[in-house]
Amino acid sequence: MSAIETSMTDTAPRAVAGHATKERRAAWVLTAPALVLMVIVLLVPITIAGLLSFTSYSLGNSGFDWVGSRNYEKLFTRSAYEKMFLATLTYVVTVVPISVGLGLGAALLINSLGRFREIYKTIYFLPVMATLLAMAIAWEFMLHPSIGMVNRTLEMSCGTFLEQIWPFLAQGCADRFPVWLGDKRYAIWVICFIGIWQGFGFNMVLYLAGLTSVHRELYHAAEMDGAKSAWERFRLVTWPALGPTTVFVVTITCIRAFQVFDTIEAFWPQGGGPNKSTYVMMFAIFEKGIQQNLIGIGSAITMLFLAFVMFLTLIQRWLVERKVHYK
Amino acid sequence: MAGLSIKNVTKRFGETEVLKGVSLDIADGEFISLVGPSGCGKSTLLRIIAGLEDQCDGVIQIGGHSVAGQRAADRNLSMVFQSYALYPHLSVGENIAVPLRMRRMNGLQRLPVVGGFMPGAGAVAGGIGRDVRHAAEMLEIGHLLDRKPGQLSGGQRQRVALGRALVREPAAFLLDEPLSNLDAKLRVQTRAEIAQLHRRLAATFIYVTHDQVEAMTMSDRIAVMMGGRILQCAAPDVVYEDPDRIEVAEFIGSPKINILPLEIAADGRLSLLDHALDLAVIDGGRGVGSLGIRPEALRLTSGYSPIRGRVVHSENLGSELFVQVEVAGLEERVTLRAEPEQRAALALGAPVALAFDADKALVFDADGARVRRLRHPNAATSEVA
Repeated sequence: MSAIETSMTDTAPRAVAGHATKERRAAWVLTAPALVLMVIVLLVPITIAGLLSFTSYSLGNSGFDWVGSRNYEKLFTRSAYEKMFLATLTYVVTVVPISVGLGLGAALLINSLGRFREIYKTIYFLPVMATLLAMAIAWEFMLHPSIGMVNRTLEMSCGTFLEQIWPFLAQGCADRFPVWLGDKRYAIWVICFIGIWQGFGFNMVLYLAGLTSVHRELYHAAEMDGAKSAWERFRLVTWPALGPTTVFVVTITCIRAFQVFDTIEAFWPQGGGPNKSTYVMMFAIFEKGIQQNLIGIGSAITMLFLAFVMFLTLIQRWLVERKVHYK
Repeated sequence: MAGLSIKNVTKRFGETEVLKGVSLDIADGEFISLVGPSGCGKSTLLRIIAGLEDQCDGVIQIGGHSVAGQRAADRNLSMVFQSYALYPHLSVGENIAVPLRMRRMNGLQRLPVVGGFMPGAGAVAGGIGRDVRHAAEMLEIGHLLDRKPGQLSGGQRQRVALGRALVREPAAFLLDEPLSNLDAKLRVQTRAEIAQLHRRLAATFIYVTHDQVEAMTMSDRIAVMMGGRILQCAAPDVVYEDPDRIEVAEFIGSPKINILPLEIAADGRLSLLDHALDLAVIDGGRGVGSLGIRPEALRLTSGYSPIRGRVVHSENLGSELFVQVEVAGLEERVTLRAEPEQRAALALGAPVALAFDADKALVFDADGARVRRLRHPNAATSEVA
């Protein structure tokens, strides 16, 4: 034993140094594919987009001019972009809380069921699995002002007591029901509704997964401690336990809400809805960058979009690390 | 503080009958342990007492009043869970305060942020803070009040769970295997502390455990449960020395009691390994039975004995020596407790003969029931035990 120790002390520094170099090389070799991919697929395009946002480049042109921050100035001064921010913000602020709330509610209800759990899960998850573009076309038919299912259903309740208690219905029966997709008062709300309908099933599934990790004994402890109502138990046990899930669900829903595009492109391929009331960011990027070939301004919107998403992600990281892991 | 009474409680989960008519009276201030192997129904019984589970039949009385239809939150009982069940998002102080907040504050005062501004909230919160500090100091966790459970060691969490249970004055404390997640050393220490706590609070404790050492060391009485029934409920020394059934004798005591096959002759005389003993049963005759001898009731002998064999294994605990002896004609090894000085005579492979006092041997009939009425046919016809 002592002989081995002495021989080791002789060669140890060199052996350790050689070993460390080897390990470092192995680490670089192993991370290289991921690093290369990340640079090629993410960092290079983002940098190019960032550079292009300061130019007047159009696809096919041989050269371009640097325009400084003019593209960004346009974004914050022109009324079309003001409408873009308004539509995006309305959509995000409406869809995120409602689809998170509905997802949580549905998950709690399904979790409390003994039977038929799977059936309800499937029903609520169906819209998530469906292609949104196809669903948008189906909704377009349903929302058709004269032959659509929605307005025909509303017409059926004309003349009933519902007309007295719901002024909207009375007005619709007297005059005519809204042209849902052609009216700037309704268009963005229709988009919000479809977004919620399509998205909350996904949140429900995430919450259902989160609920399985809630320790059963905590509910018993809460009961012994005197938490009598379901609301008290929810506040004391369920909601804190779902903290990490909620942060994730809210972030994912926010990012998805910023990305809304399919329905708007399907309903109004020529430009962002009645009076640009549904002119959301993703559609603006598509319209400027692809349809009108104004790569510069398209890149500027893209950079702004990236900044929003990055900001949300940072908030999520901070919350997850600081607030909800209870360490 | 109050006594409890359990009358003929049964519980079925589907087809499986978990409790088959359990009755038990627990005096005010008593420390009683429900002990038994896994699946014997002891935890289910505790949860039925707590109100977390409904019994199929039978009555539970707390302080002389039936609690039928009363939910757990209204039964005024405290429980310590095996997993401790601390709220991970609340600090130690807030965890201990939860039972007081739930009972002393109204819904408005409990609201987050604005609750503190509701009328009377300040006074109630002050009282709660005092009680929490008092409980924390009693358990020596006063310096941990601001930590989160995730930052505590197992032993500290266990104390917080105890603190949450004793911060209000419940009718009884229910403890569901509270020590099973601690390491061996801490378990011994906490065992003593819980026993001291019981003496200090003079409250009723119902303690569920599968560890007979815990039950023996802490309890006023032990209820040994097996197969959904209480087989015996008595003081620890009685359960150890005078068990009612062979299952109780086998479960209580470590190392396990030696069970040897007995033959009962027509006149009631008992014989062990074809050797007639100076013991006979008074009632009944002809059949088989079992003889239970604790390891400490056996001793080495140089004279004749039916229990002879070779040492196959020995465990030296320092203060005592447990020796396993393989006896011809017996399937199971016989365990002997010996003094360390006797080590020389008990080397591996050494032939030994073991003798025992007839007075300390426990006789069981073929069904496993204890036979207490015995006589010594060779002496005068006097009864033993």
